[in-house]
Formats: sequence, structure tokens, C-alpha cells
Amino acid sequence: MENKEENQKELCKHIPNLLSSFVDTFVDFSVSGGLFLPSQKPSLDPQKPHEETPLSLQTRYPAPDRLIAIGDLHGDLEKSKQALRLAGLIDGSDKWAGGSATVVQVGDVLDRGDDEIKILYFLEKLRREAMKDGGNFVTMNGNHEIMNIEGDFRYVTKLGLKEFEDWAYWYCLGNEMKSLCAGLEKPRNMYDGIPMNFRGVDSQILHGIRARIAALRPNGPIANKFLSKNVTVLVVGDSIFVHGGLLARHVEYGLERINEEVRDWISGLMGKAAPRYCRGRNAVVWLRKYSDVEKNCDCSMLEHVLSTVPGVKRMIMGHTIQVDGINVVCNDRAVRIDVGLSKGCGDGLPEVLEINQNSGLRVLTSNPLYQRKNKSYLNPDSKEGLGLLIPKSGSRQVEVKA
Amino acid sequence: MGQAQSEVAPSDTADQMEPHPSSSPSMESLLAEAVAYGNDENESVEAKAQKALECPCIADLRNGPCGVQFSESFLCFLKSTSEEKGSDCVNPFVALQNCIKANPDAFSKDILEEDEEKKEEPAQEYNIIPPIWSKESQSPKSKL
Repeated sequence: MENKEENQKELCKHIPNLLSSFVDTFVDFSVSGGLFLPSQKPSLDPQKPHEETPLSLQTRYPAPDRLIAIGDLHGDLEKSKQALRLAGLIDGSDKWAGGSATVVQVGDVLDRGDDEIKILYFLEKLRREAMKDGGNFVTMNGNHEIMNIEGDFRYVTKLGLKEFEDWAYWYCLGNEMKSLCAGLEKPRNMYDGIPMNFRGVDSQILHGIRARIAALRPNGPIANKFLSKNVTVLVVGDSIFVHGGLLARHVEYGLERINEEVRDWISGLMGKAAPRYCRGRNAVVWLRKYSDVEKNCDCSMLEHVLSTVPGVKRMIMGHTIQVDGINVVCNDRAVRIDVGLSKGCGDGLPEVLEINQNSGLRVLTSNPLYQRKNKSYLNPDSKEGLGLLIPKSGSRQVEVKA
Repeated sequence: MGQAQSEVAPSDTADQMEPHPSSSPSMESLLAEAVAYGNDENESVEAKAQKALECPCIADLRNGPCGVQFSESFLCFLKSTSEEKGSDCVNPFVALQNCIKANPDAFSKDILEEDEEKKEEPAQEYNIIPPIWSKESQSPKSKL
């Protein structure tokens, strides 16, 4: 009899933690469009089954056999999936199918589209699946991530606001469920410190605005869960990735240092304003000096910057829409991969860049004009084949404000 | 979910929860291990999971207007062995969602959240820039 009571007690000790995982899973399911995130590293660290991977950001990676770079996604989940499918990175049921490939998404998942949270969840799911398969999925900060963390919601869509309102509903409900269990610490109110009114903000959108602030401000639940895992600059093999572009002084400041400071800011350790190299026209996430039309591209400056990062041959950037698709300028040193695929800006044809250890660079495109040969710039004997990738008419850019 | 939290909390809880330091729990095995603590090996998983439902931590959740749906979802989650834990529980999860939508106060406590918030922390200075479309009907004042 006594033994049975002991058993029950022992069992009940585990319930608060199990309830917590259950609630998290249920909330994730409810806000992500029905996704279940795989547990992270199931067997490697059995001591910490619930824990997210320790947050040490890696800035430099050796060249993988296959690297895929994807440009700005801007809240368009369907087009994002099309881009991933182009490169065989997901299968028919949207699971990771990229094997040991590395994917780099250069930022701007937020704004201009209606499925921002769903994309964040989807990429996180792929990141975890890729890790298990020996692959890697690296996400980066774009200027729109920085803007939203700072409360600049100019480019938010109506349905984007609604998505955050719905998220807040389920997230708060989850907290209520947890707070009913005495064994769990009472979750902090995510709206703490957020005003009930804002000058110039219509009362009809107030709920959505407050939800978006709560979610995305430094240390907010969505900022922590997703954006704090983003890097801001990244070196993979002989390519350096950044959303806007790098100046010499950014390299001098330190790539690792930039990544860690931005991460710390997103995690709420550095106040409200983003680090200064994330703000203004010369910021790493805003620069257009190398993504502008070719005649305005500052090739000599780019050359200089690249020479300050050992082993790096090219800079791969998003941020400026390339209406003619992915292209390279400056002797293959500037690769511009934002094809403006989102319906909310350009509705461009999905294209991704592939870098193969053996066969060099090529563009995978959904453009039927090129489909048969995948733009046919691939020269198997040459790693410098990218120059051929420029469409015959040269490249044009769209001027967008952000 | 917070960074500091996730770095510190798990080892603490692991210490507290673990009766045998030699055997380390993984999330999947927690329930199995917890219920196997005694020597009631003949008990079915179902019966063990049912016992888990009797724990005081979830009494309020179980007895609320969505208690049935909660219990079914939680049981399913506990028993789930799939790699994405809970992914075999879509039906009970959807039933729980629907119940919550029909009973918005299913799990709320007496105190209103907004009241509590005002008491706890005063609103801070917040500068935000609203969506462009939301300004169109209003006075075109602040722009950046």
C-alpha cells in the first residue's frame, strides 16, 4: 500500500515538466499551421531533453559538398517552399530531403507577407531535421528582422498582424495552462511594460500591434525562439554571406563580435536599440553598394573588403531585388540572390544559388525559359563558371525602400 | 525558452527529478521511467498514464470545461513515441483547440491578466512605427 503511494508520488514529480513540454508542443502546433518540431539532439544529451541547443553562434564553416543560398522570403510560405523544392531540399511532405547539404537563408523572412510565423517555424523544423541528417540550415538577420525587433512595423501586412494576434492568443493560453500547475513557475506576462495605447495607432489594430511588440521585442518569445539563432555575417568556405553588404570597418570590428552582439541584443541583454552597424544606409543589413545596378556597384571597394577576410572570394547578398534573377558582377565577386519571390514584393520566380564543391556555382531556377539547362552557365570544367550566369540583357534592379 | 533559462534550468531540474543519478532520463522515457519506479511491471502503459492524470499538478486542467479534451491530449502526448513527440496526437489536439475556442475561459484564473499587468509593471516609453496602410485613413503626420 505504502509502496503504491510512493510510486504515485514519484510519478507526479515528473508531471510538471511533462506538462510544460505538452503545452509547448500544443501551442507550437496551434500557431505554426500544424507543425511538430523534432526534438533537438535526442540522444546526444539525455540529461537535457527539453533544452534548445546551446546558443553559441558559429560564424565560419568549412565548405560543404553542397551549399544552397536562398534570398529574401518576406512572409510568402508557398514561394519559400517552391524555392526549397527547386533545390531538392524538401520532399513532397515538406520534410528535409537535402541530406548533408548546407542551406543559407540570407534574412528578411519578416514583413510584406502573411505567413511570417509559419515560415519561422518551418525553417526551424528544417534546421532540426537537417541537423539529424548531417546537414545544416543557417538563417540570417535582414534589415526587416532588425526593424521589427525595434518596433518599426511599416511593412507589416494586415494578415501578418492577424497572425501575431492569433499567436498571442495561443501563447497566452499556454501560459495560463502552465500557471494552473503548482509545480511550475508562473510564466511571466509577455505584455509586461507594453502600453495599452499608442499615439497614432488605431484601436482596431492595437491588439495585433501589442502582440507583435511582445513577440518580437528583445527577449520576446518569438525573438528568443527563432531570431536569436540567426547570424548576421557568415563565412562558408570561400563565400561570405551578409544581408546588405560589408564595409572594411565591419570586418575590422570583428565578424564574430557582430554576430554575438546582435544575438545578445535580440536576447534582451543590450537594450532596445540595435547595434549601430545594423542601422542606417551603411549598415550590414542595409548596404546597397554591391547590390545596385552594375554601373553603381563599387567593385574596388568590394575587392578591398574581400581581401581583408582570408580565404574569401565572393560576397553573397540579398536585400536588393534582382528582377532578372540571381546574377554576379565585379568579376564574380558580388553575387546578388534576392529575386523578390514574395507575392508582397515583386512576386518573382523562385531561384536559388548552388555552390558545389566539385562543379562550382550555378543557379537553380523555376523560370521556364531556362529550365532545361538550369540557365546553362554551368561549365563542368571550370569553377569560374558563374560569369556565364548573367542573363543576356545584363541585370536590372528594382528600387525598393526597405 | 529564454537563453539564460535554457542554460541553467535543465541541469537543476534534472537533479531534482532524478531519483537514480546513474540513469539519465530522456523526454521519451520519462513517463516510462517514472511509472516503472515501483515494481508493478504488469501494469499496462495505459494504466500508468491514467495514474499520471491523477497527479495534483493537473487537477485544475483536468476539471475545467475542456478537461476531457485536455486529458485525452495529454495522455496521447505522454504515450507518444514518434520522433516529433505528439505528432500522432493531431485529433485530440484539434478537439482541444475546438473546445478552447468554444470556451475562451477554459483555463483562465480568476484574476484578469490585464489588471495584473498594470499593477506589476508600469508601461514604458515605446516608440513604434505602425504599418503604412494603417496610417492611410488617418492624419498623415509621422513618417520616416
